[in-house]
Amino acid sequence: MDINLPQDFSGNNSNPQFHSTTTQTQVTQKPVDKAERISTVDMIRGVALCGILLMNIPGFGIHWSAFDRMIRGPQNTADFYTMEVISVFFEGTMRGLFSMLFGAGMLLFTMNKKETLGGPSVAELYYRRLLLLVAFGVFNAYILLWQGDILFFYGLCGMLLYPFRKTAAKWLFALGILWICFNMIKGQINYNETRDKRAAYNEAVQAKKEGKPLTDEQKSAKAEWLQRENWRPDSMEVQRDISKVRGSYATVFNYYLPRNSGGEIWGTYHWAFWDCVAMMLIGMAFFRWGYFSNKPRTSTYIMGLLVGYGIGIPIGYIMFSKGMIEGTLHQGLYVDAYTVNHQTLYDVKRFFLCLGHASLIMLVFRSNLLNWLMKGLANVGQMAFTNYLMQSIICTLIFHGYGLGFYNKLQFHQLYYVVGGVWIFQLITSSIWLKYYRFGPFEWLWRSMTYWKKQPMRLK
Amino acid sequence: MEQPPPAEQQPIGSQSIHTPPAYSRIPSLDIIRGIGVLGALFVSIWIFGGFSEQQQNQLLLTSKGWNYRVFGALQIFFSGKMLALVAIVFGAAMVIFLSKQQQAGQQPAVDVFVKKYLWLIVFGVFNGLVLLWSRDILFHLGIMAILLFVFFRMKPRALLVATLLMTVVYCGKYYWDYADHKKMYGKYTAAVTLEKKYEKDSVAKAKKAIVAKKDTLTKFQKQDKEAWEGLVAGKKVDLKKDDDNIKKMRSGNYGKVWNHLLPATQSRQAEWLYKKGVWYLAAMIFMGMWLYKIGFFTSRFTRGQYFLLAIAGITVGVLLAWYRVHFQQISLQDYEKFVKNKALPHTIFFPIEKAAMALGYASLVMALLHTTVFSKIFSAFAAVGKMALTNYLLQSIVCTMFFFGYGMGYFARLTQFQLYLFVAEVLLLQTIFSVLWLRRFTYGPAEWLWRRISYGKMLPHTMRKQSTTPQTVTVLS
Repeated sequence: MDINLPQDFSGNNSNPQFHSTTTQTQVTQKPVDKAERISTVDMIRGVALCGILLMNIPGFGIHWSAFDRMIRGPQNTADFYTMEVISVFFEGTMRGLFSMLFGAGMLLFTMNKKETLGGPSVAELYYRRLLLLVAFGVFNAYILLWQGDILFFYGLCGMLLYPFRKTAAKWLFALGILWICFNMIKGQINYNETRDKRAAYNEAVQAKKEGKPLTDEQKSAKAEWLQRENWRPDSMEVQRDISKVRGSYATVFNYYLPRNSGGEIWGTYHWAFWDCVAMMLIGMAFFRWGYFSNKPRTSTYIMGLLVGYGIGIPIGYIMFSKGMIEGTLHQGLYVDAYTVNHQTLYDVKRFFLCLGHASLIMLVFRSNLLNWLMKGLANVGQMAFTNYLMQSIICTLIFHGYGLGFYNKLQFHQLYYVVGGVWIFQLITSSIWLKYYRFGPFEWLWRSMTYWKKQPMRLK
Repeated sequence: MEQPPPAEQQPIGSQSIHTPPAYSRIPSLDIIRGIGVLGALFVSIWIFGGFSEQQQNQLLLTSKGWNYRVFGALQIFFSGKMLALVAIVFGAAMVIFLSKQQQAGQQPAVDVFVKKYLWLIVFGVFNGLVLLWSRDILFHLGIMAILLFVFFRMKPRALLVATLLMTVVYCGKYYWDYADHKKMYGKYTAAVTLEKKYEKDSVAKAKKAIVAKKDTLTKFQKQDKEAWEGLVAGKKVDLKKDDDNIKKMRSGNYGKVWNHLLPATQSRQAEWLYKKGVWYLAAMIFMGMWLYKIGFFTSRFTRGQYFLLAIAGITVGVLLAWYRVHFQQISLQDYEKFVKNKALPHTIFFPIEKAAMALGYASLVMALLHTTVFSKIFSAFAAVGKMALTNYLLQSIVCTMFFFGYGMGYFARLTQFQLYLFVAEVLLLQTIFSVLWLRRFTYGPAEWLWRRISYGKMLPHTMRKQSTTPQTVTVLS
């Protein structure tokens, strides 16, 4: 397994011209060859790709009201523990790693190509590739009917990164942190609105205690807050939703149609532009530093692991136990007690957990203990695009009505048996496929469309 | 046609950097862009000045008097067409920019392009969220440039197909919206029929003195009923609906106006772009690319052909616009009846109307391009077009300062005619300003800033016109 970067690809090299001094001089534009691939990057991507299903499986298989039920239910069930573990250790982190590697992939893509006169420029190829990704995202959401699609957002966010391809790592990192800060402020502004509403309610309650007659405004403020605090999923609506997802393809399509368009509209604007772009920028910085390409010393990785988990896990635990559980169970008291929402720490937690995860993976890789697994994960990562879409295909066929119709039939923790099954399937199929072919089938399609030329697929 | 300074004049491989051409050198593009930017204010002023949808709809309902006639004329000749013109020129300019041959030692045109149009998005955000022009279009144009530039190498025929395809989808978008309304109405009638039946049953039971609980609609049936009722209520013309908006727009506090406009701005930036804008702008940008590639803007056709095209385009446009306004009036009278009886919404041909009319206007400019009568006024329009960004941002500044509460607070205080008078003043001032400015400087101030940040440090740091040609800067190393 080729683990070392060619010297000129060194992440520590911040010379803006370094990409043009590549040892392989390419006469024409062509896709990145297999030999040039950095398998540690693939490996981490493989982990992230598998891990992303941990977060996505509830979206595929269970109605969202299950979370409300679990949070309010007994806390010693398998379901609750599962939710706790997933939330503390993984929430947001797998997408975070995936975004980081997407940023790294952008650098890889542009680094490996030289401008040629006459032909399409690197920028053109890059933007064609991303436009196609947006289209694949639309396909994933509207045709495969996966409402949690991320390709659409990645395609659009990736378009912002191109001018930063030569920016030095420290600036990329600083920009990523700045982005996170913006996102935190944005979250705090939202929380402040909640606090204002609570304050208006408290005022009304106080006035009532003192026996003053309530103004109309106070009355409506009071009612609004009570409605918010006492809000529960409506069982009729839940039943209707479930029967829709268990329906025919047309039913599911119509059911998800407004959700998909609403998600893509507001997701791009209020979420992906912050959430994904920040991690992509940080990922570019980490790639520049060689963190994903096995450059640093083992002690650095150990430090990364300790700092990452040391900070990330406690924050994750507090966010779950205080923010999520307390915040839902006793919303009013929670808002009274906390000026700053626990959710504000989301990106901080995510960053440190991502650091921890990446360091852990690299350390396991260096220890040579689980070589077969690491190799398998690298295969999964090399076919990440195919495997991502395959997760949509497999899971929709398991859960939607036009497939096996298991939607909302499994308990929360049982969903993770399905995850295990999909992982094993993807590890095996990816390894077999890459014995015979250069890229995964969807990668091949994507490349062929990007270069507008059929790409060779079979390995000699 | 003026050409940018030929590349051969520069010592190849030396350290000198060829300054990119100051602006598109095709005069027709600047003229059309200028007309688009100026004309757009006639429609934008409705929103700047508080000539609200309610007032407009009331005019359409009364359908009498000069107020109505002028408004109708603007609907037919201006509404949407000016943006279409701007977008067409935008598409043509994209191809020109990207087709520039890369010189030794220069950044590839595409790299500069990407930076430039990402910056345009930032300008749009500034215009929307700082200057508070909630209908800003720079944001959208920037995004569209980034999305569509990869198509600039397409053959004219393919571009034409893309134009038609986008237009059809855009029409479809209006149709699907309407189909949703029809569906809502269907559910509403089902719920109402059921409700009447329950009513009848309970009366019958009461007559027979049977004690039984009256059947009621399920929660979802009630929701269906209310959804439609809400839609119809929303369509009902009522000037009182404006009160809240007027009060907030006249607030002297910038923060309050900002907060009030934020949802509208965001919905324009996100929702409108996704649902309508992306198809509309893509159609017009593809059309601009196509027209440029077939030589439309460089006088490929004869004057007679341009005239013919102008007449055809404007005729089709006017007919479709009449169709739209006519059926809008009918829909305003009784939307329930409209939905029940009409298969198509009044907006169904709006995309074609805009495209045809814009093509007609562009052809008219091309037909009149070299006539002596129009040369003066066209060169003035060209000056406005060269400074389109500056002028567009100035419109935001001037209008918000005049109408919004933290400025002079004339929001919803002027009649329709007074608004147009105001527009005429602004446009006159802008034209004079542009002509005078360009006598002294190569670019407008906003254009200069835009180029400065897009090209980085490689530009001369001055807006002043330079007498030396070709314009070169020597980088000292």
